[in-house]
Amino acid sequence: MTPLVTVRGLTARAGGAVLLDAVDFDLYEGRVTALVGPSGSGKTTAALSLLGEAGPGVRLSGRITADGVTAVDANGVSAWAASLPGRVIAYMPQHPGSALNPARRTGAVLAELARLHRPDAAPATAVSEALRSAQLPPGRDTERRFPHQFSGGQRQRVALAQTLVCRPRVLVLDEPSTGLDTVARMRLAEELAALVRGGLALLLLSHDLDLVRALADQVVVLRRGRVVASGSPAEALPARPGVTGVRHTPHDSGRPPVLEVRGLSAHLHSRGRGPVLHDVDLHLPAGACVGVAGLSGSGKTTLARCVAGLHERRRGQVLLDGVALPVLRRRTTEQKRRVQYVWQEVRASFDERHTVVEQVARTAVRLRGLSSGEARAEALRLLGRLGLDGATAERRAAALSGGELQRTALARAVIAAPDVLVCDEITTALDPAATEAVLAELGRLREEHGTALLWVSHDLELLAAVAHHVVVVDGGHVVETGAPEQVLRAPRAALTRRLVRAIRLGTALTATDLTAPSATRS
Amino acid sequence: MKLMERPGARPGHGRIPLAVAPLGSVLVALPLGVAVLGPLFAESPAAGVSAPYATSDARYPLGTDGLGRDVLALLLHGGRSALGMALGAVAIAYLVGGLVGLLAASARRRWADELLIRPLDVLLPLPTLLVISVVAVGWRGSPLAIALAVAAVNVPPVARLVRGAALDAASSPVTEAMRLQGESRIRVQLDHIARSVITPVAADIGTRITLAVFLVGSANFLGLGLNPTAPDWAVSIARGREGLLLQPWAVLAPAAMLVMFTVGLNLLADRLLGRSRRTREDVR
Amino acid sequence: MRRYACQRLALGVVQLALLAVLVFLLTSLLPGDAADVRNNEDAGAEQVAALREQLRLDRPPLERFTDWASGIVTGDLGTSLVSGGPVLDILTETVGTTLVLAAVTLAVVVPLAVTLGIACGLREGGLLDRSVTSVTLALNAVPDFVLALLLVTGLSLRLGWLPATWVGVGAADLLVRPGLLVLPVTVVAARMVCLLSRQVRAGMVTVLQAGYVAQARRLGVPRRTLLLRHVLPNAAVPGIQELARVGDNLVGGVLIVEAVFAIPGVATALVRAVEARDVPTVQGLALVVAAAALLFSLAADLFSHRLVPRTEVLR
Repeated sequence: MTPLVTVRGLTARAGGAVLLDAVDFDLYEGRVTALVGPSGSGKTTAALSLLGEAGPGVRLSGRITADGVTAVDANGVSAWAASLPGRVIAYMPQHPGSALNPARRTGAVLAELARLHRPDAAPATAVSEALRSAQLPPGRDTERRFPHQFSGGQRQRVALAQTLVCRPRVLVLDEPSTGLDTVARMRLAEELAALVRGGLALLLLSHDLDLVRALADQVVVLRRGRVVASGSPAEALPARPGVTGVRHTPHDSGRPPVLEVRGLSAHLHSRGRGPVLHDVDLHLPAGACVGVAGLSGSGKTTLARCVAGLHERRRGQVLLDGVALPVLRRRTTEQKRRVQYVWQEVRASFDERHTVVEQVARTAVRLRGLSSGEARAEALRLLGRLGLDGATAERRAAALSGGELQRTALARAVIAAPDVLVCDEITTALDPAATEAVLAELGRLREEHGTALLWVSHDLELLAAVAHHVVVVDGGHVVETGAPEQVLRAPRAALTRRLVRAIRLGTALTATDLTAPSATRS
Repeated sequence: MKLMERPGARPGHGRIPLAVAPLGSVLVALPLGVAVLGPLFAESPAAGVSAPYATSDARYPLGTDGLGRDVLALLLHGGRSALGMALGAVAIAYLVGGLVGLLAASARRRWADELLIRPLDVLLPLPTLLVISVVAVGWRGSPLAIALAVAAVNVPPVARLVRGAALDAASSPVTEAMRLQGESRIRVQLDHIARSVITPVAADIGTRITLAVFLVGSANFLGLGLNPTAPDWAVSIARGREGLLLQPWAVLAPAAMLVMFTVGLNLLADRLLGRSRRTREDVR
Repeated sequence: MRRYACQRLALGVVQLALLAVLVFLLTSLLPGDAADVRNNEDAGAEQVAALREQLRLDRPPLERFTDWASGIVTGDLGTSLVSGGPVLDILTETVGTTLVLAAVTLAVVVPLAVTLGIACGLREGGLLDRSVTSVTLALNAVPDFVLALLLVTGLSLRLGWLPATWVGVGAADLLVRPGLLVLPVTVVAARMVCLLSRQVRAGMVTVLQAGYVAQARRLGVPRRTLLLRHVLPNAAVPGIQELARVGDNLVGGVLIVEAVFAIPGVATALVRAVEARDVPTVQGLALVVAAAALLFSLAADLFSHRLVPRTEVLR
C-alpha cells in the first residue's frame, strides 16, 4: 500500500526556536493517523505544513509529498503547494464555529466550494451529498440558513460539510472532541469511522487519548516538536489509566442530609418562561458524593447554580441542615462559607489585575476571617498539594494553563472548608496525575471537614468512581437515580444507556466496533 | 498569498508611528493654559481701541479685528467659553449618561433596564447641530442653554457605552466568583465593575470632548450660540472672516488654538485606545 | 430579513413621532412667543394680543400640537411668520440645492472612503496605511468651519482658482459651473471620509484575521474570490454602521458650509429662521432635515442587516 502523503524530516524553525524537529509520518487511504501531544507540542504546525502553510516568521524544511505533489522541500514551501488545499487536503480547525462566515448562507458557500474543486459535478448534487455525509438534512431549509441559525453542535457539522464538499483525499481534524460531552464524542467517533471506510485518509490531532485509541491505526506522539513514540495505539500510547478515586460514602447514614433539594424547578426567563429544570429532588448526606450526570444542555449546570445561589429564577427549596437557603445575595457569610461552587469555564472567573494566590486567599479572608498573611500561607500550601508551585501561584491567570486554572479555581472554593462543595466538570482539562491530586484533596476535605460533594459531569465513568449515588438528568427531568454499580450494570433510561455505552469509547472499542449501525442514534 | 501574510499582526499596531504621547500632551496643554490663565494677562477686549483690521504693531502684536479690538486680548479671553462650554457639556453628559447607564446595567428587572435605555436609543440618530439650532430659537446667547443642549445630545451614546461596559463586567464570571467568596457588594462594584468601565470611558472622553468642542464652535460660528461680539474663539473666527485677507490673524490665531486642542486630544485618545486593546489581547 | 425590516421601520416611525413632539416642545413652549417677537417693542399690548389671536397662539399647547401634527401629515408645514407664505414654499425653493450638495458629497465620500479603507486594511502597518492613518487623524481634528475658511482663503481668495461664495447663484447654474461645488463638497466630505475610512480599515483588519477567512483560504478559495465574497461583506459592516452615524456629520457639515459659502439651501433658511425666531419655519425645516437623517440611518441599518443578518434593531 503506497502512502497518500509522506512526511520526512519535517522541521520548522522560528528565529532560533525549533518548533518541529525531523518529524516523519505517513497517511494512507482509508486509515487514521493520529498526532498526539500536549498543546504546544507542534501538532498544528505539522498539520498546517501539509497545506504549505507556515506561521509568520516560521521556516519549513524537510520533504512533504501529497498525492504526487511536493508541498515542502529543503527550500521550504514549494510553488506547487497552492494546488493542495481543499482539493487534496482539507483542514478542520479546533473551534469550527469560528470557521463559518456569519454573512454567508450555508448552501452558497458549499456551492462555491463545489464549483471550485469539482467542476465536473453538478453543484446542487455535490452540496446535498456533503450535507448528508456530515449528518445534516440536505435541502433548502439547511442551505438557506446562516451559521448563527444552527446550534453549536450543528455548526461543527456545517464546517465538516464545507471540507467534505471539496472531496478531499485527506481530512485533517484539529482537536475535534473539544467541548463535546461523552455521548456526542461517541457519535463523532462513529461518523469519522464511517468517513474513513469511504476511503478518506484521516489525520487526527488530539490530546483526547480515548478518541485516538478508538479511531487511530497509527499514532505519532509529539513532545516539544520531536517524535517520541510511534506505532499502533497499543504500542505508542500508555495503558489507559482507569479512574481510581476514593468513593465518598455518607459518614453516618442515619443522620438527616446536610443538603436537601425539594421540588426544584428553574427557568431562564422571568415568570416561568424557558423552563430548564423540573421538580428535582436530591439528598446529600455529610461526607457523601452525589453525582449528577447528563448531556450538555440537560440542565445539570443550572441545578448546580441553583444550589450555589447564583441562579435566581427558581421555585422549590434548597435546604442546608433543614434551613432554607436563599439566593446568594441574601445568604449570610456563614451560609456562603458552607456552600461553595467550582465551575467549568474557569479562565473568565479570574481577575487579571491580581495574582491567582491573592484571589484564592481572599476566600479565607472573607469567609473564615483569617488575616491576609495566614490566608496566603494556607492558599500556598493548598495550591502546592494540588501540584502548583509557589512561582505559578504568584502569576496572573493569563499565564496559567487551563488545567492549572481549573485546580486554582478548586482551591479558591476548598479553602473555605465548605460543608457542601458543588463541582461542575472540574477535571475536564486535567491530565491523570492532576486528576489524582484533585481526588486526593477532595478525600482529605471529606476526612477533615466531612464535606459532601455534589458532582456534576457528563462522564459516568468518573462519577461511578467517586459518587455513592448517581442522578441522571435529561431535559431538566431526573430520569434515573441509584447506586453507581446498579446504574452502570442495568441502566433503565434511554439516556443512561447512551452514557454507559459512551464509556466504552475509551475502554473496549476499536474502529471496527464503531462501524456497527448504532441503535441509539437520535 | 500576500493577503494573509501577517496573521499574527494585531490591530492597533502601526497606528501612529511617532512618539505621540508627549506631543499630544503639549498640544492639549497650550490652548488649555491659554483658556484658563489667559484672562489674567489681558484686560477684557474693548471695541474701538484702534482702527479696524489694523495689522500687527508693537502694541497689538496680532493686530485688531473688525471692531477694532485687540486680537491677542480676544484670544486670551476667548478660550474660557470655547473650551469651558464643551468640557462642561461633556461633564454633564457623563454625569447624567453615566448614571443612567450604570442604573440600567444594575437594574435587576429587564423592564427597568428597557425603560431607562430605550428612550435614549430613540434619540440617538438625531443630528446634533440640528438639535442645537432648535434650542437656539428660544435661548440664543445663553452659554448655559448651548452647553446643556450639547450635553443632552451626548447623553444617549454615553449611557449606552457605560451600560454596555458595566453589563459586561457585572455579568462576568469574575463577579460571580467574588460574590461566592463573600466579597461585599461595594467591593465588587468598585474593585471590579468600576475599574472595567474606566478604560473604555477614558478612551471615549477624548473623542467626545473633541466632538463637543466642534459642536460648541459650530453653534457659535453659525451665530446660534453666544452673541456676535462675545470674546470666543469660534465667534472670533466667524467675525474675522470678512477681513480674512486684511487681517488673517483674527481668524488664524483662534483657529490654531482650537485645532491644537483637538489634534492633541485625538492623539492622546488614539494612544489610549491602542493601549487598552493591547492589554485586552494580552489577557486572552 | 422582512421581520427585521418591519421592526426597524416601526422604530423609525416612533423616532419620527417623538421627534415631532420634541421639536414642538422646544420651539413652542418658549419664554415669550412668536407674537412678541414679530411685534417689536413699539407695538402695543393690544396689537400683540390681536396677533396672538390671529396666529391662534392663545389656545392650549396640546390643541396647537394636534393642529400642527395633523397639518404635517397632510403635507402642510405651517405658515412662516416672516414671509407670511407657507413653509413648504421655503422648503421647495431651497431643498434642491441642499440635495445636490448632499448627494454629491455622498457620491464622493463612499467610494473614496471604501477604497482608502480597503487599501490600508490589506496592508496593515504598511507605508500607505501609516500615512493615511496619520493624515485622517489630523484632518479629523480640524473643525469644519476652520477647514472651510482655510480653503477659501488659500484656494479662492489668494489663488483665485475656485469661487468663494454662491451669492447670486441659482440652482440651474450648478450644471454650468461645477467648480462651485468643489470647495463645499471638500469641506463636508473631509471629516466623513476620515471617520468612514478608519472604520472600513478596522473592519478589514479584523475580518482578515477571522477564523472563517483562514478556513476559506485553507479550502483553496483563490485570493480574488476570498476578498470579494468572504472578506468584503463582513468588513463593510462597521463602515456601513458608521455611515448611519455620519448622517450627523453630513447635516452638521451642510449647515456650516451653506453658511460659509452663502449657499441658498435648507440649512441657510433654517439658520435665518432661527435668527428671526420664525417658529413655524424652524419647526417645519427641522422636522424635514431630521426625518431625512432618520431615513439615512434606516437605510444604512437595513443594508448592513442585509449583509450580515445578525445585527439587532437595538443594541
